[in-house]
Amino acid sequence: MSDTALRTEGLTKRFGDVVALDHLDLEVAQGEVVGYLGPNGAGKTTTIRLLLGLSRPTAGRAEIFGLDCQRKPVETHRRLAFVAGEANLWRSLTGAETLALLGRVHGQVDEAYRDELIERFDLDPTKKVRSYSKGNHQKVILIAALMVRPDLLILDEPTSGLDPLMEQAFRHCVQEARGRGQTVFLSSHMMSEVEALCDRVGILRDGKLVEMGTLAEMRHLSALTVEARFDGSIPDLSVVPGVSAVEADGSLVRCQVRGSIEPLVKVLAAAGVTELLSHEPSLEELFLAQYGEDGHAG
Amino acid sequence: MLADSGIRAQITAPVRAAGSPRTVVAAFNTRKAVRSGVLWGSIFGIAIASSEVSYVKLYKTAVQRQALAATYGTSKAASALFGPAPQLQTVSGFTVFKISMTLMVLGAVWGLLTSTRLLRGEEDSGRWDLLLCGQTTRRGATAQVIVGLGVGLGTLWAVTAIITVLSGLQSSVRISAGASLYFSLTMVATAAMFLAVGALTSQLAATRRQAASFAAVFLGISYGIRLIADAGVGLHGLIWASPLGWVEELSPLTAPQPLAFLPIAAFTVAVGSLAVHLAGRRDVGASIVADRDRGGVHLGLLYGPSGLAIRLLRARVTGWWVAIGLSAFLYGFIAKSTGATVSGSVKEVFSKLGANGNGAAAVFGLCFLLEAILIGFVAAGQVTAVRSEESDGTLDNFLVRPVSRSTWLGGRLLVALVVLVLSGIFAGVLGWLGAASQHTGLSFTSLLEAGINLVPPAIVILGIGVLTFGIRPRATSIVVYTVLGWSLLIVIVGGFGTLGHWVLDTSVFHHMASAPGVPPNWEANGIMTAVGVAAALVGGLAVRRRDLQGA
Ligand SMILES: Nc1ncnc2c1ncn2[C@@H]1O[C@H](COP(=O)(O)OP(=O)(O)OP(=O)(O)O)[C@@H](O)[C@H]1O
Ligand SMILES: [Mg+2]
Repeated sequence: MSDTALRTEGLTKRFGDVVALDHLDLEVAQGEVVGYLGPNGAGKTTTIRLLLGLSRPTAGRAEIFGLDCQRKPVETHRRLAFVAGEANLWRSLTGAETLALLGRVHGQVDEAYRDELIERFDLDPTKKVRSYSKGNHQKVILIAALMVRPDLLILDEPTSGLDPLMEQAFRHCVQEARGRGQTVFLSSHMMSEVEALCDRVGILRDGKLVEMGTLAEMRHLSALTVEARFDGSIPDLSVVPGVSAVEADGSLVRCQVRGSIEPLVKVLAAAGVTELLSHEPSLEELFLAQYGEDGHAG
Repeated sequence: MLADSGIRAQITAPVRAAGSPRTVVAAFNTRKAVRSGVLWGSIFGIAIASSEVSYVKLYKTAVQRQALAATYGTSKAASALFGPAPQLQTVSGFTVFKISMTLMVLGAVWGLLTSTRLLRGEEDSGRWDLLLCGQTTRRGATAQVIVGLGVGLGTLWAVTAIITVLSGLQSSVRISAGASLYFSLTMVATAAMFLAVGALTSQLAATRRQAASFAAVFLGISYGIRLIADAGVGLHGLIWASPLGWVEELSPLTAPQPLAFLPIAAFTVAVGSLAVHLAGRRDVGASIVADRDRGGVHLGLLYGPSGLAIRLLRARVTGWWVAIGLSAFLYGFIAKSTGATVSGSVKEVFSKLGANGNGAAAVFGLCFLLEAILIGFVAAGQVTAVRSEESDGTLDNFLVRPVSRSTWLGGRLLVALVVLVLSGIFAGVLGWLGAASQHTGLSFTSLLEAGINLVPPAIVILGIGVLTFGIRPRATSIVVYTVLGWSLLIVIVGGFGTLGHWVLDTSVFHHMASAPGVPPNWEANGIMTAVGVAAALVGGLAVRRRDLQGA
């Protein structure tokens, strides 16, 4: 048994002239929580539909737990659960009936956990699906996926429509899943969510994977923001190696540093710094830096 | 090309709307209703023209026409099925008899489908929310859709009238333009009434499907009442209790009685106004008939895709079964008294209409053609239900779980097949019950066989539908209803020797023997079943190899 949960090799999908996914090579180990980011139309949903066998690849292949996604969909689906960004449920069934049906179709359900989830997400299962709000639809499919305790959770913008309280409950569930050794593949536009939950992050753009690594690695590649206040005269920081984007505002100077910060610290100490503040870029800043500079491709 | 013009239409629509924000709803719906009016108007016109032409070709001499009228004009079977036939010695009288009941029913179906689609269908899809954000109220928007429907109705009439007038002007046919205009007006009268009925049920029901079925039930009752009224059992007064009866009383081409337009106009205006009134009194997306938002947990049948399909479709299928069973019973009920008048040259006419044999059995043969069409609709409905599981995204819920496409489709088709076979058995058994209640003397087995005989054409429709679903899923509904509509058209205009054999062969119903008048043709039935199953298998293989495609 391999310890990879999910692997793609040269996975490609074309819709007519549009290349929605371009030779994607991806590997997710068992037990990992991986974030999958990218602007609208980058190809995230396309990737996931290929993994689930709902679409056929133009080229390349994908496997889940060592089984081919196209040839063995039933076997792979026994071990995974999927949550879409938009729930398409049967409007005349109630929440409870929907959960019962989906549970029976999947096979085994942790019933105690299901009831706990209904409680946690504050869902009224006696209501018909047609009378549910958008957030409630989302809760139903989240519970349906979590209650089977799958080895792999594939989530495509799972929290769209959830209020902040419910989003918190969702994060709690993912952390629990990680604690149990479940693998999570999470596509999302909520940077804080991905930052809080994921071990590794992949960034997709125009169907190509442009970045893949841990948050720490990504931060390392990008700049650190430093703010310093001085008593006396302000030193010229732009000549210091690795420093860029220097802005002075009275006695306050703001700049960015790449690589080692040692040269900058030496210059600051010599110039009599009174206040020093530095922070790492958030995922959101990383993401915006990735796309902000030369604008959206799409 | 097509995609290009579609995009252009989308781009230009809001620009045009900006010019007259208050009438955007009317303009939008008028375009849709007019398109449908042109299509159906052409079908109506062609059906009328072909009936006129086939009569003059078939009955050339006055002697032939007199003989036809003398024996056939008094047939109660004909009267019950197609309405009274007072002047069969004239082109006019024959055309009215041959075509008017079919067009009246088709017009009603067009009316209820068009208005429920443009009212409830648009609302279900959420597009109304967008429209209502603009400068209009619910009541105003409903009124505007009704205006659009009115324009569509006008188009239906205009196109029908043009073709009818042109056909009437032929030297052999010679029907005056005025008479043709009046005739075409009567042929769209049911469409007007059922546009209004559909508008009303769109307010009452919670979904488009429910709205259409409420209206269809009303149509079924109207048809049943006039069938009894015309069956010659001394209840002719009942004709005034049925909207279809009012249209019949207009007696176009034979003894025009324009006063009957009064109840028709009054009914249309009253029902239409009630619809507008109710539209203003409810929320968008809500219904007048209370729709329960809560329910106990009923886990019956919720084991997988097939069980769920049975559960979700049972109300609709039961509706079809009631229609099939009730009409078969009625046909059985009238078969003896009406069949007694089928003899001599009437038999010849009947055989040209597609029925053979003697008396009651011949009447049954003809009636069961109508049952075959109903079962064809059931088959088409099953295929489109399969496709809509994919297009509305609910199928994803199964396919992302341990359910393969083959398991899903195989199960669904098995359900569809059982529904079709049971439909046939129902028709046979209830037809027998109706006949037995009158001591008609037709055996149970012959009618059961006749019922099962109705299933193979439906299997062909099912197979063609699944094949389309496999290779061009978005065209599924258009293709099955085109096949069904075409087959129906051939049944309406064919049967008089004016169509070549190869044209007749394109109708799925043409290959079915008109049992019980003649014994079922099991060989042809076997071939039809094999063709249907083969098409479904190819379609199923294609489904396994393609992307899932949303709406
Ligand atoms: N069925 C389809 N037919 C044609 N093009 C498609 C189809 N599905 C997706 N695409 C195209 O493929 C590209 C990738 O779409 P995809 O839905 O995977 O993006 P996404 O990353 O999920 O975006 P979002 O963040 O908006 O959900 C887009 O350009 C989209 O227009
Ligand atoms: Mg997406």
